[in-house]
Amino acid sequence: MITVRGLVKRHGDLEVLNGVDLDVKRGEVAVLIGPSGSGKSTLLRCINGLEVFQGGSVAIEGAERLEAGCPERVRSRVLATVRRRVGMVFQAFNLFPHRSVLENVTEAPIHVLGMSKAEAEDRARALLARVGLGEKLDRRPRQLSGGQQQRVAIARALAMGPEVVLFDEPTSALDPEMTGEVLGVMTDLARDGQTMVVVTHAMRFARQVATTVHVLGQGNIIESGPPSAVLDDPREEATRKLLKAEAAAP
Amino acid sequence: MEHGPRDDSARPRLSTSRFVLLLLLAVLFGPINAFADALNDVRGRGALRWGADEEGGAPFVFRDREDPNRLVGFEAELMERIARELNVESRFDQAQWDQLLPYLERGGVDVVVNGYEWTAQRARRYLATRPYFAYQFQLLVRRDGPVHCWADLRMPKSGGGRWRVGVLIGSASLTTAEQLGGPAVEVITFPGATDAMLAARNGQIDATLQDLAASQYYLNRPEFTELGAAGPPEGLGYYVMYLRPGDEKLRDAIDATIVSLIDSGELKTIYQRYGIWTPAQELLAKYQRREATLVGQEGRWLDPSMLARFLPSLLTSAGMTVLLSVASFPLAVLLGLVIAIGRLHAPRPIAMVLGAYVELIRGTPLMFQLFVLFYLLPELGLVLPALAAGIAGLAINYSAYEAEIYRAGLQAIPDGQMEAALSLGMSRRLALGRVIVPQAVRIVIPPVTNDFIALFKDTSVCSVITLTELTKQYSILANTYGGVIEFGLAAALLYMVMSLPLSWFSRWFEARLNAEESAGGAS
Repeated sequence: MITVRGLVKRHGDLEVLNGVDLDVKRGEVAVLIGPSGSGKSTLLRCINGLEVFQGGSVAIEGAERLEAGCPERVRSRVLATVRRRVGMVFQAFNLFPHRSVLENVTEAPIHVLGMSKAEAEDRARALLARVGLGEKLDRRPRQLSGGQQQRVAIARALAMGPEVVLFDEPTSALDPEMTGEVLGVMTDLARDGQTMVVVTHAMRFARQVATTVHVLGQGNIIESGPPSAVLDDPREEATRKLLKAEAAAP
Repeated sequence: MEHGPRDDSARPRLSTSRFVLLLLLAVLFGPINAFADALNDVRGRGALRWGADEEGGAPFVFRDREDPNRLVGFEAELMERIARELNVESRFDQAQWDQLLPYLERGGVDVVVNGYEWTAQRARRYLATRPYFAYQFQLLVRRDGPVHCWADLRMPKSGGGRWRVGVLIGSASLTTAEQLGGPAVEVITFPGATDAMLAARNGQIDATLQDLAASQYYLNRPEFTELGAAGPPEGLGYYVMYLRPGDEKLRDAIDATIVSLIDSGELKTIYQRYGIWTPAQELLAKYQRREATLVGQEGRWLDPSMLARFLPSLLTSAGMTVLLSVASFPLAVLLGLVIAIGRLHAPRPIAMVLGAYVELIRGTPLMFQLFVLFYLLPELGLVLPALAAGIAGLAINYSAYEAEIYRAGLQAIPDGQMEAALSLGMSRRLALGRVIVPQAVRIVIPPVTNDFIALFKDTSVCSVITLTELTKQYSILANTYGGVIEFGLAAALLYMVMSLPLSWFSRWFEARLNAEESAGGAS
């Protein structure tokens, strides 16, 4: 589904990613963990082209492969396809504050996919009901709690019918009592076979839901495997240190 | 013409704030006329203070080409002689021409000397001296044009429409042109004599009626070689000096000096030096005061019926103000939005060009831009009608300001909004149109409304390109008929009446957007 090869990302002299390879299969839930600054969010943002990378390539099934250094014209063309197939959920939700909950979800299907308003609204209602917000259709984002906003953001991403959904620390900005409702929705999604790539610190979620856990450190993946292996019996010293730190965190 | 020819340089028009201040001053200081005779003050001070506008230029009052510290011109020399006769120093005071009489009233100067013709309206309010110059007008046309004398202007114009004749704003040439011209003539007022000559040369108007003396002076300049005199001189009138009522002694002293200058031939010598001695000047010697004075016959205040009579012309010019505003501002906003988006999202070279555009437009005055559009573009072959030039000038000038406001508004939207839109498959353009700009609009409404009100008042600058909007109409009426305060208050009231609804509308619009955002707020 996703094939990342030799990905290099630099910010000036700083090498954030130094030749990352990553494979995510259809139906898989890939969880990326790592200390802050390890490049996990950057890796995620390279997959749907929010970051420009300097080396390597990213290929999404059904779209052209995006190579580093390709002309802007090619890049926009490839990303136009990629972004329709890859949804994203942000740490800060990034809902459109000037639109209602329902409009947040129907905006892209209507204006990107050309769906009729009625059809888009039907689907949006169903999705919002699925994330438990069927009653808040006419609210503005700022009238919702953080957890509710993040669930709207998930519904908004799902409305495009994406093959893959990228989650960039979806619960990091939430109070602890709200993380549960968001992780619950994500767990349901995973059970339904949605391919997901999740950057998170929520270890319990990783243990219960992940197919594969990738540990990032110093700009590359240092260890990959099923949660039972990586989380319970890590090979690398860095992974052990990370798990200890995460366990100590509130 | 009652005012001298001017330089082509821009002349600041009366801004609304200055205009209100002036009204206040006029109200506060107006009544302090009943002083002892100014002649005692002049002697006590040792200086005769006289007011004129240097922008009137040659041959009236201007700076010596060789020595810019030296004031020359036939009026300056005349005042020099009169002051010497009174054994005092001649002290020149600069003021905008159409503000000279209010300035006199306030006590800023003792006498105003700047090509003011004698009119009954002015004589009711001010004390006039005996004439010191007999003016006549000369019609100037393009040598290759269809007009050769006034008779041509009374015949229909080929191709329909009316003949367009330019005159200096507030001058006697305006009334003369209106009297001479029939239904086939449209009289257009210009801020300066040379502006009207430029417009005639460019073909924007068919002819211009100019002071005979000044036109001879200016026709020699290289930029006016295409222009020539058409027909004999027209009209005849006297330039007089004006003083405050009650200053009869000073007036009589000035009159006596003028008579002695005429009798001694000194006046002729001065006028010949400036090339303005015309046969008509012989009339100056024959002049005899026919009545003691007209001052006070109708009181200081304008007849209210006068205000009623000219209310329609004030309203018409207010309509021009509104037209200029509502036509130009949407263009400015649209252009500004495109520029702001271009600066933030277009490729670097385009963004840099747009940045330079903003700096250029913000860095030059609106009046200068209007001059370029109306008087200079014709040199490049693009002749814009005044209304189009006015609308374009305002739109271009304000587009730079709107662009900066929009740029700030767009930058205030968090990056996450664009990222969210892009990750949903939107193109940059769609994301801007559906997500970014709608949010930015809400942020910029208050500053944009501010600018609309500012533009609304800046329409008064369009008078420099012959558009008669409210401020100019006020200026024309107050100069022609007196009533600075009455017409001024009426104009100020009209401005207020027009701009208040704007503020209300903007507040309502903002409230509506806010209400829309919190729609469904009740849980």
